[in-house]
Amino acid sequence: MSEKIKIEGQKWGQERVRADRTDELYKDIPEGETLMSIKDLRVVYITDDSETVAVDNFSLDVKKGELISIVGPSGCGKTTILRCIAGLLQPTTGDITIGDNKCTSPGSDRGMVFQDFALFPWRTVKQNVEFGMEIAGVPKEERQERAMKYIKAVGLEKFADSRIHELSGGMKQRVGIARALVMHPAVILMDEPFGALDAQTRNIMQEQLTKIIVHSERTIIFVTHSVDEALYLSDRVVVLTKRPSTIYKVIEVPWERPRDRASPEFTALRKKILEYLEEQNVME
Amino acid sequence: MDLGYNKHNKYHRLVRSILITIVSLLTFVLIWWLIYYVANDPAIPSPIATFVALWELLEEGDPMTGRSLWSYVQASLTKFLSGFLLAMIVAVPIGLILGNFKLIREFTTPWIEVLRPIAPIAWAPIFILLFGYVRGATMVVFIGIVFPILTNIIFGVSKIDKVWIDASKTLGATNFQIFSKVLIPATIPYLMNGIKIGLGIGWMCIVAAELYATPLGGLGYYVANMITFAKFPEAFAGIIVIAILGLLTTGVAEYVSKRVSKRMGMDA
Repeated sequence: MSEKIKIEGQKWGQERVRADRTDELYKDIPEGETLMSIKDLRVVYITDDSETVAVDNFSLDVKKGELISIVGPSGCGKTTILRCIAGLLQPTTGDITIGDNKCTSPGSDRGMVFQDFALFPWRTVKQNVEFGMEIAGVPKEERQERAMKYIKAVGLEKFADSRIHELSGGMKQRVGIARALVMHPAVILMDEPFGALDAQTRNIMQEQLTKIIVHSERTIIFVTHSVDEALYLSDRVVVLTKRPSTIYKVIEVPWERPRDRASPEFTALRKKILEYLEEQNVME
Repeated sequence: MDLGYNKHNKYHRLVRSILITIVSLLTFVLIWWLIYYVANDPAIPSPIATFVALWELLEEGDPMTGRSLWSYVQASLTKFLSGFLLAMIVAVPIGLILGNFKLIREFTTPWIEVLRPIAPIAWAPIFILLFGYVRGATMVVFIGIVFPILTNIIFGVSKIDKVWIDASKTLGATNFQIFSKVLIPATIPYLMNGIKIGLGIGWMCIVAAELYATPLGGLGYYVANMITFAKFPEAFAGIIVIAILGLLTTGVAEYVSKRVSKRMGMDA
């Protein structure tokens, strides 16, 4: 029998945020100013006979409207950090705040896109996108209208009434993205969202995501193991060290979108970041 | 041999499966006839005598009391359905609770494991004594159906993808909303599986329990009564009716559960 499914009580933190359009709570914060701040995050995994420090001394200020990528050697705590931010994992110590609000439990102010999509197979595409609004108590008509708007934005209008198992991987993740975007969360967390897709679909998805975010003032934290993807999408790239993860370098990516992967600057910067990652492997 | 059969043609496939079923049933009757011929015992009536008895049962009802076949069927079905409904009402909430709360599950597992392997029919004398002939038989059906539903729901809850719960939390769902919007729909295919198994067992239980019963009884009582008075073809006719109704119930359950699985996009 599984022990995992127990629905956890809200042992830590305040009531779960389940409001719609939480981004409006922070509309007074101007673009480019700090929206979310992560201070001294430390995560220790305790098993019967050992303690593993997965993340240590991780501090980061996320600016409003930016897309910030977190890359790092495989097996480092990228996903752990993201799950802490989402509130799905309680950090051992450390504070995460959006504006003046502490994040101590999961909530709709931090929307998440999962690597394995995490869609509900018993719901149609449209019903999946509507899920968060249903939770927040958005009236049915508005809910359907907004869901359709985002389903169109990700190019799935023909599949609005399809079931999830009828879709390809790339289409599934577009549903996942629409489901997160439609809620207008303060911050969107993406956990290797294109990691389960083939290379070609991945490139298409990156282009589409660029189109969606370019004028939308969305704040996104994007975890990936692909340096190429990070450079193509982000305003800043955070390079992590090996376990225990902390920030090794933060790289600004100043170029306009859409970006040209073949340009000399792009290649040069990619090479530099790959070198940073390589240093992580040598350092041990 | 070329019969012009094309396996990609829906109509051809249908004709093929009907033909196979007919030949299969005819072979079955042939084997039955052979056994009748070899055994040469009044307890095994010939297929022809049985079908004649079945026809008379349909036309004229019980040869001894004149009760109609329909009233027997009704008596059995009523008990069967009430036992089934009772089992659902009990097993679904308890299954969801046991699936979700480990401590309660661990505490009650010994009870379930002690009670579950007992053949439902073993309860029949006790239940009939306690609840009377009609309700006692209903309780036997209940016992037969309740465990498959219960264990399948507990299993279904354990199979819920943790990532669905994570996703609903990041969309703001409260624990109650996770329960109603994720847990319940996600366990429905498993519930259907439990129902499918339960209906088969339940149907066996009702007939067996009625062997004890009085003139208020249904088909089981009819069969037992006919055998008591050595009317073997009539008894066999009753057994055929029981078989057909059993096939119908499991067939319906199978169909519904397939539809549900397809609609839910998942298999249990």
